[in-house]
Amino acid sequence: MGELIRMQNISKFYGKVQALKDVTLTVNEQEIVGLLGDNGAGKSTLIKILSGAVPASGGEIYMRGRKVEIRNTTDAIRLGIETIYQDSALVTELSIARNLFLGREPIKGPKFLNRLDHRKMSEVARALLKQVGITKEIPTSTPIASLSGGERQAVAIARAMYFDSELIILDEPTNNLGVAETQGVLRFARNARDSGHSCIFIAHNIHHVFQVVDRIVVLRHGTVVADDIDPKTTTVEAVEHVITGM
Amino acid sequence: MSQQIKKLVAKPEFGPFVLLVGMIVVFTSINPSYLSILNISNLLVFTVELGLIALAMTLLMTAGEFDLSVGSVFGFCPVLMWTLYNEGVAGIEIAFLASLLAAAVIGFLNGWFVTRLRIPSFLVTLGMLLVVRGTALYVTDGFPQRTWDAAGLWLAEVLVGDFYIGELRIFMSLFWFIGAAVIFGYVLTQTKAGNWIQASGGNPNAARARGVKVNRTKMALFILSACMSGFAGIISSIRTSAANPNSGTTYELEVIAMVVIGGTALRGGRGTIIGTVIGILILRLMRNGIVLIGVPGLAYNIFIGAIILGMMALHSWLDRRHQEGR
Repeated sequence: MGELIRMQNISKFYGKVQALKDVTLTVNEQEIVGLLGDNGAGKSTLIKILSGAVPASGGEIYMRGRKVEIRNTTDAIRLGIETIYQDSALVTELSIARNLFLGREPIKGPKFLNRLDHRKMSEVARALLKQVGITKEIPTSTPIASLSGGERQAVAIARAMYFDSELIILDEPTNNLGVAETQGVLRFARNARDSGHSCIFIAHNIHHVFQVVDRIVVLRHGTVVADDIDPKTTTVEAVEHVITGM
Repeated sequence: MSQQIKKLVAKPEFGPFVLLVGMIVVFTSINPSYLSILNISNLLVFTVELGLIALAMTLLMTAGEFDLSVGSVFGFCPVLMWTLYNEGVAGIEIAFLASLLAAAVIGFLNGWFVTRLRIPSFLVTLGMLLVVRGTALYVTDGFPQRTWDAAGLWLAEVLVGDFYIGELRIFMSLFWFIGAAVIFGYVLTQTKAGNWIQASGGNPNAARARGVKVNRTKMALFILSACMSGFAGIISSIRTSAANPNSGTTYELEVIAMVVIGGTALRGGRGTIIGTVIGILILRLMRNGIVLIGVPGLAYNIFIGAIILGMMALHSWLDRRHQEGR
């Protein structure tokens, strides 16, 4: 598989504090990369730069070999980079269908009426929930507030899949989830990869990372200390040593 | 309970609607003239003027902000319009447009301080309340501007002309209110803009991440809120033949109460125009009703306070049920 994203020599300063030093991270097509590191290692900062939430102080980002500018979240989304944060980045008051299409709502009728195409939103939402692996019958008009944590992650992943995001960044997607729900989210991530998407998977629980990723990258004190760990040929303990440096 | 009834009861408008019907039944049974044509005529007149502000406030509060300067703008815009007209600076149409433009600038400044400087709307609009009210008082030396020249002006006829259906006196402002309610209700529930308004209030960060222009949405709503307040103030000034720089004092609190009682969430994310219309009717019918049944008018605030507390308890209970997926 070819290279999808390359973050090259990325650095980031917060005032005088350097959060990232010359970090290079690549993600290949149809690959799930596990990004690991202790608190303060720089994972979140790196992801925020890739998703356009904060600007890098230095370095470049390439997509399929072409240099791209990511100045804000809109740039990232336009490039096909979707970030799913711990809180799912969903609006809990809005329905599943309205969340799925938020920011890219389909309109029907004369443009000036600005009228939502509710039928299309509902049909697509129903199909997507099935595709992502939700077997329970949930009306698409259900507000996100009524869904479980796992179902919320599924909606966020479904949204990324529908809008053909090439890279889905899952930031702590299994936090606060039960065992069955965690397995569900891991399955959603695999489904996303199998349907042609790449993922960056960030989780504190290394066991979860091991179950789903193809390659592990470890950050420590703002630098990459390992970027090609194969979870099939190593152990959780060995990776923990790399993370802590002890 | 069948599923349909459960759904109906869970709607934020259901509780206020039951209260409204209950109030009408109780007041009418104590004093049958409560539902007389004359009383309904009187009730509708001012209700819709305040209502115009409440409708715009509903959208703004759904987007997670509120505007305390609406009462001041309600007083300021007619003062500006009639000063320009009476001094011969401008014709009535230009004066009308200039005062609405001034309202838009006030709304823009509110929005700019809130979205660009990230100051809470409570503080920004509280400051603006004082600036606008102070300006109205300073410009007029505290005296009302005469508006009796309005008689016969086409603009006055369009805004507040009246006609009778039998004994029922209807002012044009009622149609402005109905039109605004229909349009705002449509915008909030049926359009992409409505989705953005709800998302901006519910989870602004998530909305931004999806490309929703949260700041622009809020800015537009601050401008709308100020323009509707100015518009309502002008209507009121023509009807009462007085543009008083003090008019609209404390309206902001009554308007916010109307919106909240109707079921719009104070924290944003969820709003209902139908609920606001019910909330408007509850507060105005209550004020009218307690006078008609002989309760001293000074006791009005006791009832309003009790209604607000009761409705908040109800909405909080419904919210909890909603979160639990029941």
